Amino acid sequence: MINQLAAIDLHISIASETLFTIYGIAITNAVVTGLLGLVIAFGILWYAASKVRRGKYNRFVGLVQWVFEGLLKSVYDIIPDKKLAKKIAPLAITIFFFVLINYWLSILPGLDSIVYHGIPVIRSLAADLNFTLAIAIITMVTAQIYAIKYLTALGNAHRYFRNPIKDPIGSFEGILELVGEVSRGSALALRLFGNAFAGEVLLIVIAVLTSYFSSVVLPFFMAFELFIGLIQAYVFFALTLIFTSLAVTSHGDSPTDHSPAPKAQSAGS
Amino acid sequence: MVPIISNFATSTPDQGGLFAALGIDWKMLILQIVAFLLLVWLMGKFVYPWLMKSVDERQAGIEAAIKAANEAKATALHTEAQVEKLLAKARLDASDIVATAKLESAAALTASEEKARKRSDQIIADAQAEINKEVIAAKSALHNETIDLIALATEKVVGKTISAKLDNELITDTLKAIK
Repeated sequence: MINQLAAIDLHISIASETLFTIYGIAITNAVVTGLLGLVIAFGILWYAASKVRRGKYNRFVGLVQWVFEGLLKSVYDIIPDKKLAKKIAPLAITIFFFVLINYWLSILPGLDSIVYHGIPVIRSLAADLNFTLAIAIITMVTAQIYAIKYLTALGNAHRYFRNPIKDPIGSFEGILELVGEVSRGSALALRLFGNAFAGEVLLIVIAVLTSYFSSVVLPFFMAFELFIGLIQAYVFFALTLIFTSLAVTSHGDSPTDHSPAPKAQSAGS
Repeated sequence: MVPIISNFATSTPDQGGLFAALGIDWKMLILQIVAFLLLVWLMGKFVYPWLMKSVDERQAGIEAAIKAANEAKATALHTEAQVEKLLAKARLDASDIVATAKLESAAALTASEEKARKRSDQIIADAQAEINKEVIAAKSALHNETIDLIALATEKVVGKTISAKLDNELITDTLKAIK
């Protein structure tokens, strides 16, 4: 059995693979699938929005609207400041839909079997570290922008840099906070990448191991992947909101003071 | 399993460090950041406003419905209280009316009884007076008739028609004879 497994030549690569180049920019299989995901995500939401605008509802529009409303409610629940919540909602909700659809594209039939010059054409964008890192950077930078807006640049810097002579514990806490920001961002990127990549590998391995029975066994794993994709998209969405909410929360003099920034209201208005 | 490990091994940092092994391409990273921000902008411009508007409208509708329901509930409670109040007042008024009616009917009964009694007394008195009159008339008629009968009888006895003159003479003769 182990010998048979060893004989199987699975094509697994951590990095997405270049299909062709345009003006020196490598177009990878993940980018191609990502473009498809982008078209689907934008198409679905634009279709739903146009139907809503015309007041023509159907079950699909109702489903999209229901999901959107649920996400919006989550935004308002996590970020009590309504103005900030409304500003951050487009980013967080786009992350949810885009990650969800791209994650779900990993279960498309043809994964690892449709090849172009020996390279699989289909690869989920969520299984490309460039993408996960890109949205993690966007999330962390957005959180910092709102932190500066709500706490001022100096107030935000004070979260990380404090006078070690006057406040040695606070200074250490600031360093931890800085390390925390980096680790939050990288964890955000690596969590999604790890799950999506592992999901794809799992599907390929199951398909190879089950051979002719794969058409019976794979649907269960595909359903599992759909569920994991939903969870991962929601986790990314929720963490985006939580990090933003944490960034605009001022830490007062007291260690237990985690009250929202007093300037937040005035800055928001 | 060896080929799998070999595949992974081909992506190890020997071709350009850890980032290259993980597939991180800075140009692609920037491109994807820009593309995603563009998508967020497009969504924020052309998609979300309509969906948010519909959510807000629905929320407003729900809030209005809740408000209307609360108002209706308050109105119902108020109306119920008013109805209860009116019913209590009506009951009070009804009992007052019943009591007044009872008093009035008792008074009317008493008055009608008194009136009837007076009327019956009057009728009795009138009947008594009529009877008395008739008795007197009858007596008078009987008296006259008796006198007439006496006169007739006397005529038969005397053999003369009794007249006032003869009568006086008889009376005078009788009186003389007695003397």
